[in-house]
Amino acid sequence: MGEIARKKYKPLQVNPFKLSQPMGATLAFLGVDRCMPLMHGGQGCTSFTKVFFTRHFCEPIAIQTSAVTDAIAVLDGGDYSIVESVKNITKKISPSLIGLHTTGMPETKGDDVRGVAAKIDFPLVTVNTPDYEGGLESGWALTCKALIEQLINPARETDDNKLVLLPHVSLQPIEVEKIKEFIEEFGFNVWALPDLSRSLDGHLGEKQAALSSGGISVEEIRVLSDAGLVISVGDSMQACGNALREKNPEMRHHHFSHLHGLEAADSLAELLLAETGFSGPPIPVARWRQRLQDAMLDSHFSLGQSRFLVAAEPDQIAGICQSLYDAGGRVTVAISTVDSPQLKKIKAEKILVGDLEDAEQRAEDYDVIVGNFHCEAIAHRHHKGLVLRGFPNWEQVGNPLKNDILYEGGAYFLFECANAATVARDEGRRHPEK
Amino acid sequence: MANKPKIKELLDESSCTHNQSRKVACNAPTPGATTGGCAFEGAQISLFPYADAAHLVHGPMTCLGSSWETRATGTSYPGRNLTQMGFTTDININDVVFSGEEKVAASIDYIMEHYKPEAVFVYATCVTAMIGDDIDLICKQAAEKHKVPMVPVHAPGFVGSKNLGSRLGGEAALSHLIGTREPEETTPFDINLIGEYNVTGDMWQYSPLLEELGIRILSTLSGDGRIAQIRTAHRAKLNVIVCAKSLVSLTRKMEERYGIPSISLSFYGRRDTSDGLRAIAKALGDDDLIAKTDQLIAREEADIAVKLKPYQSFFQGKKAVLNTGGNKTWSIASALQDLGIEVVATAVKKATEDDRAKARQTLGEKGVLMMNPGVEQAKLIDETGADLLLAGGRSLYTAIKKGIAFADVNQEKKKSYGGYEGLLNLAEDLKNALQNPVFKNVSRRAPWEK
Repeated sequence: MGEIARKKYKPLQVNPFKLSQPMGATLAFLGVDRCMPLMHGGQGCTSFTKVFFTRHFCEPIAIQTSAVTDAIAVLDGGDYSIVESVKNITKKISPSLIGLHTTGMPETKGDDVRGVAAKIDFPLVTVNTPDYEGGLESGWALTCKALIEQLINPARETDDNKLVLLPHVSLQPIEVEKIKEFIEEFGFNVWALPDLSRSLDGHLGEKQAALSSGGISVEEIRVLSDAGLVISVGDSMQACGNALREKNPEMRHHHFSHLHGLEAADSLAELLLAETGFSGPPIPVARWRQRLQDAMLDSHFSLGQSRFLVAAEPDQIAGICQSLYDAGGRVTVAISTVDSPQLKKIKAEKILVGDLEDAEQRAEDYDVIVGNFHCEAIAHRHHKGLVLRGFPNWEQVGNPLKNDILYEGGAYFLFECANAATVARDEGRRHPEK
Repeated sequence: MANKPKIKELLDESSCTHNQSRKVACNAPTPGATTGGCAFEGAQISLFPYADAAHLVHGPMTCLGSSWETRATGTSYPGRNLTQMGFTTDININDVVFSGEEKVAASIDYIMEHYKPEAVFVYATCVTAMIGDDIDLICKQAAEKHKVPMVPVHAPGFVGSKNLGSRLGGEAALSHLIGTREPEETTPFDINLIGEYNVTGDMWQYSPLLEELGIRILSTLSGDGRIAQIRTAHRAKLNVIVCAKSLVSLTRKMEERYGIPSISLSFYGRRDTSDGLRAIAKALGDDDLIAKTDQLIAREEADIAVKLKPYQSFFQGKKAVLNTGGNKTWSIASALQDLGIEVVATAVKKATEDDRAKARQTLGEKGVLMMNPGVEQAKLIDETGADLLLAGGRSLYTAIKKGIAFADVNQEKKKSYGGYEGLLNLAEDLKNALQNPVFKNVSRRAPWEK
């Protein structure tokens, strides 16, 4: 818990790695089966978002735009664009849900999207996500909250074997699946909302679907309210857990700031043991814990002599910094895209809300970068080690299957970081001029 | 407002052939049924390659946050390559309510202090255009203060498509850069390359040939471009439009204003490259130059033929189905033929009348022009025994089902296929695709499937 600098000292962002709220909303809707995310705004926002995620996941991305033009923007309060969009989408395909999310332009002119949606006879979930506020995390979380509030039927009874997982946006599809499996080892039936592990996990289907190809179904969402337990992961998701409890006050909510590293995984296991009354953990869980312990020791030598920059969304930074810290990796600088309550918990010496120009200006303070694709240029210019994490990663394939969390993923993550640090050190020895 | 480009005028471009047959100019996307980028993206594509200029996007985070460092436009600029940097005002709700003008001015000051660019382009976006931030005035004041060109670009996404945005980018260059400086010297063979963005170094495949012929690239819009050079573009003898219909408005206006004629061509494949070089020489109208060009073409064609020799037997008898749009419907087909691959069908659903005619000419009478490629391509693969499908990612499943090789034509290219030498890259990539057993292996039946 180091020094935190929240205030921007400059009028602009240079080399931004912050991403917009509507993009987070799109991604959340893609975790719902047979959903068509509909972005309300100019066609470009949608086109950029589609290309962005297509390149990250190496998968087709279902999304449509209300394609508001300058003339329409002046004349229309959203009615025309949205009604026409729904009409045109449903002409060709039949989604189970249309996920209507806004961008800055219709929010500036004050479109009443909820009012318009109420007049349309088609299952719609609406969420206000202007891109001049918040970021990727908040867009995802607001959408998850909207799905809860607008779809879930209230309930009074609970099924103690049923558990709802609310993952934050930076968890890759396989990580969501791994958390589900970990909990299922204890005998629970787990539903994730949203669930990218069944849609954007990079699986070869029969043909390319026009809608999201998997995820939690609308029917499954509607009845989530009888779950006995809800687990939110990431501080951006805490409010969603609360929203779910509104649907059924009998439900118990447990919150985890992240699930990276030994301690967080232990806390989850401890909770599940207490909930189930099991005397000991399932065998694979115990085995992976031992492997993580060993991984921490194997990697500590390299990590212990390395300084890290971590640049990511707040919920992801918190987890990554904890993992590194546990095995002796010093995070000298952590840069967050946006402000968050997470910042004061982050295990780093200096924490700031900023951009990659800030990262570059502090290049002397670290040896290895953990961050997204845009960090590659910095790593290259300043001869730093690089571990690619976060959105986007256009450089590598296999992103949906990268697992950093709990005992298992934690072990792989530490090895990757330790190896990257070793390579960076060897490079440094070869180019001592840097 | 006076110097903002007139959108209507740009859409009604008299140099566009389709505007003679159509009553309404192309625009107006359909809500819920639209793909493709916006005007801002188009402007970004046409202007971002100036690596010695800063590109400041005045808008919320989606506009730049998802789009910077996405295009591999090569540059030889020795300074910091500003094309691969992102600058944005990242406006917040306060700016929306109280205007973001001060932020723009302060951002320009910051950029000038820290990066000293040769110019700053300031892009309006939907939100900032709607709240009426006056980037014209800010740019004017900043230009006086910093003594470098400040170019307001009025291509907010909601005015239309990517194509229109490229036009608007061209308009911005025309009003604020072209003709603002005199070149140190001129030659009889000075040309501008318009619409060549040097993606993956495409331009460098043929620019040494132009140089060898004594043809000087006075300026470009905007591949490997420099601000100082585009400012002198009005002194060129010829505008060469490379594969970009969107910039015909710019070249027409340059012809009206400065008397510069223009030609339109492509450097994709052997034949196009040869035809292109010949067309430039002819347009410059010098007999010696034409003769020299013919010699150079003969040499280069012989040279590439030797280099392609090892591939010849491999590609012989191979058949391909092509499913793409626009000028790719024929330009890729032509390049495939240069390699000795027979193109049995090409999709023309998303092509202009012009492109369809060219596709017919390229494929010959026997070739199939697919109007409904989604349905037709699978059938055609069976009927013709095609070995290779070149298409967008959506068609991958067709190739896998048919067990034939697949190449994604829409994928972000990593290396150049342009000019003569680019054919070698294409040949190598297609050879790798055809030899790769993955398309057969991946469709292996699972043991639990009946």
